[in-house]
Amino acid sequence: MRSLPRLRWAALALLVTGCALAARESTPVASPGRTSRAIAEARGDVRVSPDGKRTAVRYAGWTTRDFGAFRSYAYDDVRPEPPVQKAVMPVGVVGDPKKGRALFLDRQKGPCSGCHLVPGDDVWPAGSVGPDLSTLADRTLPDAYLYQQLWDPRVTFPVTVMPPWGAQGVFTPEEIVHLVAYLQTLHGPPPPEKDADRNPFTRRKPTGFGDNLDPTNNPAVVRAEEAQALWSARGPKGKACADCHAGLPQTAMRGVATRYPRVVAEYGRVMSLEDFLSVHAAATTGRALPSESAANLDVTLLVKMASNGLPVAVDTTSPAARAAIERGRASFYRRVGERNHACADCHTPDHGANKFLGGRFLGDVTGGLTRHSPTWRTSQNDVWDMRKRMQWCMTPLGANMLAADAVEYAELELYLTTFDVGKPINAPGIRH
Amino acid sequence: MSDIGKIRIRVPSNVKAGDVVRVRCLVIHPMEIVQRDAQGKIIDRNYNYITRVTATYLGKPVVAFDLTQSVSENPAFSFALKATAPGPVKVTFVDTHGGKYEATADIAFA
Amino acid sequence: MAGAMTRRSALGTFGAVGAALATGTLSIGTPARAQAQGQSQALGLQESVQDGLKRVFGGRPMKDGAALIKLDIPPIAENGAVVPVSVEVNAPMTPASHVKSIWIVADKNRIPIIAKATLTPEAGQAFVGANVRLGETTDVRAIVEQSDGTLLTAKREVKVTVGGCGG
Repeated sequence: MRSLPRLRWAALALLVTGCALAARESTPVASPGRTSRAIAEARGDVRVSPDGKRTAVRYAGWTTRDFGAFRSYAYDDVRPEPPVQKAVMPVGVVGDPKKGRALFLDRQKGPCSGCHLVPGDDVWPAGSVGPDLSTLADRTLPDAYLYQQLWDPRVTFPVTVMPPWGAQGVFTPEEIVHLVAYLQTLHGPPPPEKDADRNPFTRRKPTGFGDNLDPTNNPAVVRAEEAQALWSARGPKGKACADCHAGLPQTAMRGVATRYPRVVAEYGRVMSLEDFLSVHAAATTGRALPSESAANLDVTLLVKMASNGLPVAVDTTSPAARAAIERGRASFYRRVGERNHACADCHTPDHGANKFLGGRFLGDVTGGLTRHSPTWRTSQNDVWDMRKRMQWCMTPLGANMLAADAVEYAELELYLTTFDVGKPINAPGIRH
Repeated sequence: MSDIGKIRIRVPSNVKAGDVVRVRCLVIHPMEIVQRDAQGKIIDRNYNYITRVTATYLGKPVVAFDLTQSVSENPAFSFALKATAPGPVKVTFVDTHGGKYEATADIAFA
Repeated sequence: MAGAMTRRSALGTFGAVGAALATGTLSIGTPARAQAQGQSQALGLQESVQDGLKRVFGGRPMKDGAALIKLDIPPIAENGAVVPVSVEVNAPMTPASHVKSIWIVADKNRIPIIAKATLTPEAGQAFVGANVRLGETTDVRAIVEQSDGTLLTAKREVKVTVGGCGG
């Protein structure tokens, strides 16, 4: 399935072309002290062309913009969070509410409507992570206060999920003046709602994609079935998985996936199944299973599905596991990227979880997000593991992704998996 | 493209004579969509997508789908049939590259 | 465990019995292409929905079929690439009187006429389902043609969200 041409909308095809051209004309920047066993586009490399232009190497269709100016999840990235900035509204700029409204909805910027509801039938899909702004102007807040809120809300609210838009350079001072002018037009009462789904506070919750284990519903199941042969296929060293793990993966590997991610003493780090396979298969069968390769995901699926129905039982008590979970938890709350967001902003129930970000219903970390992984993603027509999902999240955050098999992601995944403990594995999932 | 044309068919179990049952099938296929160049002009080539799906039961046609590129990648289809006797449901997919893929599933009576 | 093997046993024999010709061996203008593309063009073109309906149905009258047609489609599609749609018509399926065809149409798609299902009385019930692509928020219509030539239609709006933070 992965060998099929990745046909996306035309715009994406252009991005891909651009990426390929850039790759030919530039040299990679080595990440010091890191080795990755991931496929080339999953390593988080950044290339620098002779003219100094930096291009991120990512999956086909993903943005190649380098976010190197902003904090990442790398443990060796010791840059502090951007300092809180006070700002004064520029004089001599007359705010234009029409321009402000266009900026509010501009998908290349926020869009602000991803988190905030405002009036208008064309506002779709608005989110509910932030307050409904439909009657904001009735509060008669001073322009200067709103300007500061948009520039850097941390001045007033030290713990906020709203990015410091001005301080991080996403909106210019002039643009923020227009936005303030627009917000000051939002007087109540709001026009009667013609459509309850427009309003994220009354919108119906999305329904799922049906039975994830039905092969006529979830193409990932078909893929896993077709991958059975990998189990008994001999690698360059003349050995197959089945030579040491006798029988079919369904029996030989029953229960194994319940313990991952785990601290693997042999390799001195936390590893997910995918991470472990990338080194273990090469060491035993001689077959390379690089992270994010189709073969790695296929074998991961086989092993994970062998534990379907069994409760997740990762080690949460050994000193090494506890230390790793603590580091993963710190990453979860660490603010990164152009938008200075943390995972927690969107995925904890006291912030964005179970609310709409635009049209997306945000997942809740406390419900467990890993036991259905790898997952068929209907929006991508492909199987994604947790790591690719994490790498994908880096783009809206405006942070460079790490290698898929980075220990930072492994420990973050272990932290997430602690919320799945005791819940039955159910892979492959099917999600948007 | 070795996966193209892999088919799964799901038929219900516990079927009784005379039941109207629902059959669901999925085929692995890219269902290529039209691509455009930098100027927005459609790139003319033979896009590979399924144009026709036919289903028979006991050798008799039940349903045929004529399709366009507005159908999803790895498409799934559902249809009904009246189970009159035990026997095979055969589904055939035909694409624009001359590919023809078939699979069968048996309706068995409980 | 409801895993692969358990499920597999409930499935029929599967796998391709016919092999696709390798890509690239068919050049533009071969009979295979002409036939295949021609066939699809008879159904759906890049056109407006008005033009498409006129092309396929001429000026034939269409009755409101909302009471008879159950058009099942999610009101909000988090993803326009895979939108499950099914159509069930409350009508007899006998040789004398049955549903002959069901069209699925998405008004705002570049190719608005998505699929046509042709049914026989063997189906026992006028029901079809497919996963379709929706380019944007749009009305989706089911158009039903009965064996006596009557056309019925029903429609529902589907809101399609888009990617990124705003989606």
